[in-house]
Amino acid sequence: MLLRIIVWAILAFLLAPLLIIVLFSFHASPALSFPFAGFSLRWYEELFGNAQLASAVIKSMTIAFLTALVTLLLGATASLAWLRFGHAGRGMIEALTVTPIALPGLFVGVSLLVLFAQSGTQLSTATIVIAHVVIAIPILIVAMKARLALFDPSLEEAARDLGASQMQTFARVTLPLIAPTLIASSILAFAVSFDEFVVTSFVAGTETTLPMYIWSMMRRTVTPLVNAISTLALFFSIAILVASWVIGQARRRSAIAGRLEQLEPLP
Amino acid sequence: MTNPKTIIEIRDGKKVFGNFTALTDINLSIRQGEILTLLGPSGCGKTTLMRLIAGFETLTSGTVSIDGSDCAGTPPERRPVNMVFQRYALFPHLDVFENVAFGLKVKGMSKAEVKERVNRMLHIVQLDNFANRYIDEISGGQSQRVALARALVNGPKVLLLDEPLAALDLKIRQHMLAEMKRVHTETGATFVYVTHDQDEAMILSDRVVLMEKGRIVQIDRPEDMYARPKSLFAAKFLGETNLFDATVSAVNGIGTTAVTPAGIPFLGAETADRHVSERITVSIRPESLSFQGGETAAQSAEGTVEDVVFIGSRSFYTVRLDDQSPVRVQVQRNGRLALPSIGDRTRVYWDSANIVMLPHT
Repeated sequence: MLLRIIVWAILAFLLAPLLIIVLFSFHASPALSFPFAGFSLRWYEELFGNAQLASAVIKSMTIAFLTALVTLLLGATASLAWLRFGHAGRGMIEALTVTPIALPGLFVGVSLLVLFAQSGTQLSTATIVIAHVVIAIPILIVAMKARLALFDPSLEEAARDLGASQMQTFARVTLPLIAPTLIASSILAFAVSFDEFVVTSFVAGTETTLPMYIWSMMRRTVTPLVNAISTLALFFSIAILVASWVIGQARRRSAIAGRLEQLEPLP
Repeated sequence: MTNPKTIIEIRDGKKVFGNFTALTDINLSIRQGEILTLLGPSGCGKTTLMRLIAGFETLTSGTVSIDGSDCAGTPPERRPVNMVFQRYALFPHLDVFENVAFGLKVKGMSKAEVKERVNRMLHIVQLDNFANRYIDEISGGQSQRVALARALVNGPKVLLLDEPLAALDLKIRQHMLAEMKRVHTETGATFVYVTHDQDEAMILSDRVVLMEKGRIVQIDRPEDMYARPKSLFAAKFLGETNLFDATVSAVNGIGTTAVTPAGIPFLGAETADRHVSERITVSIRPESLSFQGGETAAQSAEGTVEDVVFIGSRSFYTVRLDDQSPVRVQVQRNGRLALPSIGDRTRVYWDSANIVMLPHT
């Protein structure tokens, strides 16, 4: 009984702020406190009329899309290397790619800023994308490697044996089998990029992404507008994560399903 | 088929992985149209030998030639051989038809011809109604047939099979053995079959290549290898046998006599270069021993019946001879003959023709 109370208390602690933000985003009055004065969509109306906000959203979307794309390409090549390498090679790939997760965002941000400054690179959308790829790659690798460990290398040998060249083997066997994993992982990269703030603030220059715009609004005053943006961002993130999960689950035709089936042959 | 053509020739093959010698002194000629089994315990190098033929490994020294041409440096996709993988390695993102069609499609064959050939092959393996099923929608036995069809549809000069029945349960395994013989007859392809299962090897093969620790120890027809093993390893690996340490006491025109330390004499028919006082091992199969003496079964030893196991039409007796060595005797059930019971004193008889004398190791 006590345990249940604790669990509910923790859940309430985690979720209550979210619920309150969602609730007040529909509040009819600008007051951010109870009593609740009735529902209204006025903050959402105000949002959609805000040109600055719209451009920040478009900027964030563009950056997240580019980050996902670059991460996908790098992730695909990294996963191929992963499949080719033995145990030692895999350890090395992991050490090199996963380590940045452990580094503080502050450190990554400062390092990248120094790098861009020294190389004379103008801070722009491109530098933000580069920074986001640096952050997203390790997350992508971690998400992929569990799946790739189940990839059966004899499928590639079978393709070669049947007359397929290395390129044909990749195009007809390897890529179709790892595609769901790659796509699910790159959606994750999109989500990571979309709400990244700390590193972005170092390398953004004059660009304004959505998280930065919200932060600058908050600096002046906490307006109910922030609740509405946050609510939209929340549902957008949930939608992305659900999409990633659904694609990850749609693995009936993927390598893993085939492998599981082969491990437990039907009579 | 008096002088069948050699389709694969391996000369002085040696394969080394790091500081481990996987294969050495491999000399093997595979004849067109035969079923050749590479038999041996796990780690004997049989799978490595098959992968060398397929092109997934390369020899450290020596040559492999397929159909007369040396294939050093030829990648697997350009070798006229196809392989059935141990766990089939069927493509899970393709249906049965597309799996079988894979090899033909990458070769750029026309759609109509692919369709015709694949359907004909699916008919041979009796999967006509499964063309549109995905790999996770068919059983283990069906997967096995798809793997067979996927390889054979390419018309390989040699079909390599890597323990293709290991993942199946016993009942389906026996069915698939018969199936494989039928497909072999229908396609006329050369089969090279890797297994650690002596029964599969005996049922299926025209010739068996017995391997141990990276070496070929004997190449023979299965019945010859069973009856005339050339080493203790071969005698023990194929079927059950009784072994006696003995010393050669006489060699003459009739045969070789060897005596165990306890004084049991064995007169073997072979006169091959044995010499007096040489230490050897005598092997007699359980079915070559009996409880009835006669003109052919003239040699015998006395002992006590220790155990009897009935297996349907046969019975296995364990008899402890007076020198304390246990022997296994296999008897066909036959109502007319009186058989001893546990605890009985009895005599065990054998015939010189069934004695195999092996080098002592």
